[in-house]
Amino acid sequence: MYAIDHTDLGTPPSDIAKQVTVEIDGLSIAVPEGTSVMRAAALAGTSIPKLCATDSLKAFGSCRLCLVEIEGRRGYPASCTTLVADGMKIRTESDKLSQLRRGVVELYVSEHPLDCDGCPADGHCELQSMAKLHGVTGNVFAKDGRCSERITHESKARVQALMTDDSNPYFSFDPSLCIACSRCVRACDETQGTLALTISGRGLASQVSASAGESFINSECVSCGACVEACPTAALSEKSIAALARPAEKSVTTTCAYCGVGCSLKAEVVDGQVSRMVPNRAGHANQGHACVKGRFAYGYATHPDRIKSPMIRAKITDPWREVSWDEAINHAASEFRRIQSQYGRGAVGGITSSRCTNEEVYLVQKLIRAAFGNNNVDTCARVCHSPTGFGLKQTLGESAGTQTFMSVMKSDVIIVMGANPTDGHPVFASHLKRALRAGAKLIVIDPREIALTRTPHIESAYHLQLRPGTNVSVITALAHVIVTEGLVKEDYVTERCEKEAFEKWRTWVADPRHSPEATEATTGVPAATVRGAARLYASAVNGSIYYGLGVTEHSQGSTTVMGIANLAMATGNIGREGVGVNPLRGQNNVQGSCDMGSFPHEFPGYRHVSDDSTRHLFEGAWGVELSDEPGLRIPNMFEAALDGSFKGMYIQGEDLAQSDPNTHHVVAALSSLECLVVQDIFMCETAKFAHVLLPGSSFLEKDGTFTNAERRISRVRKVMEPLAGLADWEVTQQLANALGYPMNYSHPSQIMDEIAKLTPTFHGVTYDKLDQQGSIQWPCNADAPAGTPTMHIGSFVRGKGKFFVTEYVPTPERVNARFPLLLTTGRVLTQYNVGAQTRRTQNNVWHSQDMVEIHPHDAEVRGIVDGDWIGIASRAGETVLRAEVTERVQPGVIYTTFHFPESGANVVTTDNSDWATNCPEYKVTAVQVVKVERPLDWQVRFRQNRESRLPSRRDVAHETA
Amino acid sequence: MHAEILVRMINQIAEFYGSGAEPETAAKETLSHVQRMWAHRMCRQMVEIGAADPGLSPVARRAVELLVASDAAKRAAG
Amino acid sequence: MTSADTAELQAVEAAIARHAHEPGPLIVVLHAVQDALGYIPEHSIRRIAEALNLSRAEVHGVVTFYHYFRTHKPGQRTIQICRAEACQARGCQSLERHAREKLGIDFHETTADGATSLEMVFCMGNCATGPAIRIDGRLYSHVTPERFDALLAHQEDAQ
Repeated sequence: MYAIDHTDLGTPPSDIAKQVTVEIDGLSIAVPEGTSVMRAAALAGTSIPKLCATDSLKAFGSCRLCLVEIEGRRGYPASCTTLVADGMKIRTESDKLSQLRRGVVELYVSEHPLDCDGCPADGHCELQSMAKLHGVTGNVFAKDGRCSERITHESKARVQALMTDDSNPYFSFDPSLCIACSRCVRACDETQGTLALTISGRGLASQVSASAGESFINSECVSCGACVEACPTAALSEKSIAALARPAEKSVTTTCAYCGVGCSLKAEVVDGQVSRMVPNRAGHANQGHACVKGRFAYGYATHPDRIKSPMIRAKITDPWREVSWDEAINHAASEFRRIQSQYGRGAVGGITSSRCTNEEVYLVQKLIRAAFGNNNVDTCARVCHSPTGFGLKQTLGESAGTQTFMSVMKSDVIIVMGANPTDGHPVFASHLKRALRAGAKLIVIDPREIALTRTPHIESAYHLQLRPGTNVSVITALAHVIVTEGLVKEDYVTERCEKEAFEKWRTWVADPRHSPEATEATTGVPAATVRGAARLYASAVNGSIYYGLGVTEHSQGSTTVMGIANLAMATGNIGREGVGVNPLRGQNNVQGSCDMGSFPHEFPGYRHVSDDSTRHLFEGAWGVELSDEPGLRIPNMFEAALDGSFKGMYIQGEDLAQSDPNTHHVVAALSSLECLVVQDIFMCETAKFAHVLLPGSSFLEKDGTFTNAERRISRVRKVMEPLAGLADWEVTQQLANALGYPMNYSHPSQIMDEIAKLTPTFHGVTYDKLDQQGSIQWPCNADAPAGTPTMHIGSFVRGKGKFFVTEYVPTPERVNARFPLLLTTGRVLTQYNVGAQTRRTQNNVWHSQDMVEIHPHDAEVRGIVDGDWIGIASRAGETVLRAEVTERVQPGVIYTTFHFPESGANVVTTDNSDWATNCPEYKVTAVQVVKVERPLDWQVRFRQNRESRLPSRRDVAHETA
Repeated sequence: MHAEILVRMINQIAEFYGSGAEPETAAKETLSHVQRMWAHRMCRQMVEIGAADPGLSPVARRAVELLVASDAAKRAAG
Repeated sequence: MTSADTAELQAVEAAIARHAHEPGPLIVVLHAVQDALGYIPEHSIRRIAEALNLSRAEVHGVVTFYHYFRTHKPGQRTIQICRAEACQARGCQSLERHAREKLGIDFHETTADGATSLEMVFCMGNCATGPAIRIDGRLYSHVTPERFDALLAHQEDAQ
């Protein structure tokens, strides 16, 4: 069932510019060529009856309900599959049409009894509407009126198959309510691209089947919910609304709080609670689609584990004491001031959250800069895309991706490097799959076989299955081919790039030591594969590159990003649609967090703290003198904590103890602080070392904005009151005031107004404009009042693009006899990062523990079989996980995810990091693997006590969505 | 902060700027990077460690010399 | 996995190896599997889907759409009775009733001893001489209930 406020226009829009004029029931209307008659009629205000058509899916023409009469044409064509032609005259109503349509509805109702009372779709069911419209109240073919004998065997099979499939935690499938319109099958095909559904059988025995007649949970279904939304009856319906007696009273448009796609969602509300999330069809990033997390896994926001009261304690070994907001905040403020007077102004700092809103991040960094008086502020981008910020700023002039997501539809060769979009950015992956199925070619650069390498109807043209840690070598080899085989777009480079830097780079990269043949032994990628991939990318009309943490989380992360920019510039692939350099930012607001000045060396808008004019601008606005010295990055904060010069931290929505590498080191550092203030929605790992715990607020509990990987600023709108009484920005404001630095915003829009005033790339951003446009891609200012979908058109932000020499430097993390394998990490679809949110939803059904993927060869020599406990030891530490033996990884490489704290993936990761930004090298850890009997004691204890409850409160058991 | 960590970091930076570049240019770019990106206390600690540290690469050593000189000039200017 | 399953998978692999590279190979592969094994084993669907880079749903949809494709082992012999209009006009309904009664099974079923499967077809082009049936692909005309019994007996004798 689609959103309660959606008006379905029947078929998708046409993107042809030319208009044609048609007459519908005497009314003239101009519509784009390629529009269906059904859609044209809808635009003219006439809803033609339909069942198998919906405007998110291509016309199917199966129900035969939408018949019309067209002057000069015989018969009664289906309006969904008939396209408009100039001068066409259409009649949508007549006695004959009514008769035909009623006949069709009668046939449908004969298979689907109108037992509407108590049905979750009552009032919204399209079959119910059609029955009402055509005066059909029951089965006219029942008993004596039966027009065909049901085949006995088909009846038997059918009855057996009519049992409801409740296996998916979020939706159920009741075949007895299915009208076999195929909308679900088509949604899984066209919208999601998974093709998990089919119609099995034929005729009266036609039935929707998940995979090969499997239950939904065991099938290929990824639970995106597109089928549920497309279903016109209650055959597929959300369990969360089945339980409710009444429909939603309102729908609030907001933005997903999971990944960097930033899907626009509508929260439907019943009795002040979210009854379901439906993707916003008008959402530019997601185009009306969502994934299992955004659509279904929002229940964590009302989970009993939510922290509802501020708490303090003197020592981290003491139990927590619940206190009032005033007491907690005043205590935190006085502690920070004490520490500063005792140890110096720079002895405190903070971390902004990449999951909180832009406005909240801005306030935290403002508090640190203006109230603490230093620049010791950092954010989670440190551990993910900080190399993107650095690398793209150096080469192109702006720390952000260059395109919109939909640009991929115009791309004919796509490189996906160090990313797994089907799992990490699922809605973008659906767009990407559409482009690939329309003929675009795919090059995957990844040590592992990701789903995209080979998935129904899609196969990568090249898979460069490199050894972890050799990214720069591969990128350079690709560039070598492009330069030495004359594939450089000389005109583009001459016009748009710095000549000297380019010539220096060209000479350097042409050296035979960078050739695919010379680097094959290091990278493990056959030379022919590199050459083929390079030629394919360079010869594309529109070549695009998408990359993720498999590029950035390396000791040469920044270097690889610059290498990627080099490739794109050399082949003329920046500055229009269909091309570009596209970092797939992880968190819902990590882009925004970086934009808002979360880095220790940059103010909002990526301006260096030593830049006098910028600093004076902020000093004028904020009313205090500001430091011109770069502050500490997160790893530096740990170092400084351990050597006693850093004693206080204010951490908002970031679980360092779980997400940062080398856990022992992080824990030691956190334990040495005198005042750790954690502001979070749950008692996270980091909070176990805190002295003050301030309840955070979820995205449902506040107003604000998030910025996704497209630089798209979208509204977050409050659906319910903050559970603990204050939104995150209000907490920060109170803390600032308690520190003696006045802040008195009454609404986040005022904070955005201030940001806009002080940041050139945001000058034109206001909440009013966001309401009008739906979203804005920065830069948005006088030069681009409506925002900037595609960057670097005509020229780069830095003027001329700059090529950088990217010499391969092997990581210090070497394999040897003691640690002969390389561990790399990644994500799965159903869990999100450290799992704080998704572990508190029913997504655990799909992924309830992290596993280690190990190649059969490596498993065999160690006597390991599927499901065995295996010990993974590195130079930093050890942990134990279950094994999954698979050929998705290559020999010598193992792979795991990090969604559960008891997995201890970061116990083994090292403190190697990117040379430019200190982004940790999560992706390359030398390890040894042995079969063991059981997990380590701390893991066993942990799993038993997962999500430790508050000592002073036990909430009533709560049904998560 | 441990000296060896800072030395390692500046060596890595110097290695990047050093590829295909004149050593003096590389040292200057290393200096510029460190001054823009490192927290001040880290720069000061690097000055204390000094250019004589045996773990420094040639380009990194030159960069530290320039850093020491720059720091001294700043102090002199008050 | 039993040795029978292994043998079946080998036949599936052979069918894939022979036909996977043809354009639009799914139905060709399914025919080849059924020709070799008499049916399309459920456990082969995953492998066929993987080999042809289709989803399991797609393969399942095609297999279940066509009555000709069987997903259960057929009987040692398969009897197909034509139920199209011409044969209906020539009395095949009584033949159907008789066949179902005599064999004790319905269409798309197999006798408990595994000897006989009963299927329906729609027009074998034998319209003037119906009712028409096929036994293991061999066509017979003018099949009354008596002739049906005689054909079955003759077949059994021959075996």
